[in-house]
Amino acid sequence: MTALFVDEYPAEARLVKAAFLSSFIAFGIGALFGIIQALHRTDIFRFIDSIKYYTVLTGHGVFLVIAFTIFFLVGLYQWAVTDSLERGPVDIRFTWFWYGLMAIGSFLAAISILAGFLEQPPMVLGAELRANVLFTFYAPLEANPLYYIGLALFLVGTWLAGIDWFRTWWAWRDENPGERIPLRTFMVLTTMMMFFLGSVGVIVSILVFILPWSLEITESLNPLLTRTLFWFFGHMIVYFWLLPAYLLWYSVLPKLSGGRLFSDPLARVVFILFVLLSTPVGIHHQYMDPGIAEGFKFIAMTNTMFLLLPSFLTAFTVVASMEHGARQRGGEGRFNWLQALPWRNPAFTGMALAGLVFAFGGFTGIVNAGMNINYLVHNALWIPGHIHAQVGTATALTLMAGSYWLVPQLTGNRLVGRQVALFQVVLWFVGIVFMTNSMFRAGLVGVPRRTAEPQYQGFEYDVPVGSMGELNAQLALGGTLLFISAMLFLVLMLLTVFNNDSEPIVDGTLPPALSGPEDSPQVLDNLRLWFGIAFALVVLAYALPLAGIVAQSGLFGQDIPPFPVSSEAVMYLEFGLDYVGALVT
Amino acid sequence: MGSRVSREIGHDEYDPWGTLSLIVIYFVALTLMWLFTYFVEFIGNTPTVMGMIVPVMLG
Amino acid sequence: MHTSPAKLLILIALSLVILVEGRTVLAFFGINIPPLETALIGLVIIATLVIWAIRPLRGSPTKSE
Ligand code: HEM
Ligand SMILES: [Cu+2]
Repeated sequence: MTALFVDEYPAEARLVKAAFLSSFIAFGIGALFGIIQALHRTDIFRFIDSIKYYTVLTGHGVFLVIAFTIFFLVGLYQWAVTDSLERGPVDIRFTWFWYGLMAIGSFLAAISILAGFLEQPPMVLGAELRANVLFTFYAPLEANPLYYIGLALFLVGTWLAGIDWFRTWWAWRDENPGERIPLRTFMVLTTMMMFFLGSVGVIVSILVFILPWSLEITESLNPLLTRTLFWFFGHMIVYFWLLPAYLLWYSVLPKLSGGRLFSDPLARVVFILFVLLSTPVGIHHQYMDPGIAEGFKFIAMTNTMFLLLPSFLTAFTVVASMEHGARQRGGEGRFNWLQALPWRNPAFTGMALAGLVFAFGGFTGIVNAGMNINYLVHNALWIPGHIHAQVGTATALTLMAGSYWLVPQLTGNRLVGRQVALFQVVLWFVGIVFMTNSMFRAGLVGVPRRTAEPQYQGFEYDVPVGSMGELNAQLALGGTLLFISAMLFLVLMLLTVFNNDSEPIVDGTLPPALSGPEDSPQVLDNLRLWFGIAFALVVLAYALPLAGIVAQSGLFGQDIPPFPVSSEAVMYLEFGLDYVGALVT
Repeated sequence: MGSRVSREIGHDEYDPWGTLSLIVIYFVALTLMWLFTYFVEFIGNTPTVMGMIVPVMLG
Repeated sequence: MHTSPAKLLILIALSLVILVEGRTVLAFFGINIPPLETALIGLVIIATLVIWAIRPLRGSPTKSE
């Protein structure tokens, strides 16, 4: 057995652990909010005021898809870079600096969200401390400036993390001239190039428009512009959630299966395709937005369909690597090899089931991406169904499974409760199918998302199969299973961290690919080239729509004051009347 | 978490037939799901984008 | 044992999943299975799987995996 990561790189292991800790705390709170929503909106058990539903939902979104996923990503990527380059960062103080920025940023955002639960939120920066704007923070909904400052710090920290990994790689390249970039580092660098390019949108949106406007430095903004800038980032971010899972599927899953990655060049091609295509598709989230020409939406739809390619390539490569493992373990036959896979191992089973959900959940993404049918599912509960199958399982379940493999190597402690861990990942799988199946069906009959009380008087949903009550029960049952599973995961992690005098039974070495980098053209490693092409594609996809939006109503819009989302229902009314008044006159 | 490898299979001796079979099944499933979507969307409805124009204009 | 506990667990999970999704598909073809019956079918499937799994192998002495 080789030396553990924690013994070889103790300083780096400490950072990875800190990042995972932040990630898991966010996961715990997010899961708690999830079950509250599931019980509240189905009217099965309501113990919060419906007014507070948006505080819960904002927390659920931000804690899970911003904090949980991205903190895990930076931890995992720090491990991947260190382990595959066999060296630490150039200056570990810088590494802690970006982690610190991310931690402070998420703390500020978190308290501004959680303050929404107070009866009398304190005044901060000249406004009530609250942020009930959901993780999409569409203006003119307005949060306390602290929320935007927190998000901005978090994003800057993530940028610096990327720069840190590039610096590490440059230093490594000087020491190892002429060598191919190790695969895991290649994945990290390409993911970060994608992030640099795509996050420009949201950073401009926050720093230039929304933050100054919430601080009353500027008086107005153009809501369609900030929305479009958000979605410039918003589709890229879904791959930012997904690529850590891909990294684990490509590098760790083949090993867990007992085999080797089928093809290293194919893996590189997949990551490059994500750099190229993940940003110029963002407008597919705005099919319903007026003010963007239909033609641009059509282009976004076409680009989106091209994005299926890397995911199909992945399905093939990853399954082929698993089959290789199964055959090495003695598996035979056309389908019987499946039995030779190490199903006892929670890390393997979790990732395999996550991949299965991703393969079928991906189909719902194709549905969303079709312009025509998007009209049917837009803003319906179908969308959270899609979200939970994809980031809520393909990513979340893979990250949990990966933790069962990685955390023992980071702590030097043996994983506590392997059987419970296996039960936990399987429970997540069953829970998600119950919950999303009900969300999809409810969405198709028009049940709205983001709604505390989707029950209306004098109106019945036209449920073709079963009844609304049954759909609700199924959603709540699924949500409960998920919540139990999430808590089991956190307990096992906690016990493992304190399982001090034990030896982990895990082998951290990763075997080389069957078809290695030497079989691939050198040009795949030309990161400058790919970034250049990606940049050009983004300009092509976005220059005209953005110009059009600015030409219509100006960079700062026309007299769009903030619409503070406060806990006081009266305020809603007041502002609503003001708005109508302004429209009429 | 030992992965009990009982034999080494190199690049040239390995043909992923099992993978191919699974992928074929997957594509069949995708096709069926597409058909399903087609019915959900179009039966009883006119196509949304194109079909909207005429009824709206006729009021 | 006909299979290992881990595989039994996964088989049960997969059959529940197929049950839930399959019910939706059947409903599309006009075959509606009420919730209670679905739950019963689920229980029967689980029971069958468990009995099949723990039934001793004929002839050979019990041996796991
Ligand atoms: C503990 C298990 C979970 C439960 C019970 C749960 C439940 C829910 C429910 C019921 C909604 C719909 C709320 C509404 O539209 O009114 C929702 C939305 C959402 N969930 Fe979850 N969820 C869980 C885990 C997750 C995970 C792990 C992720 C991602 C990593 C996630 C991401 C989201 C997102 C992004 C939304 C949409 C938020 C928005 O509309 O702003 N959830 N969740
Ligand atoms: Cu998207």
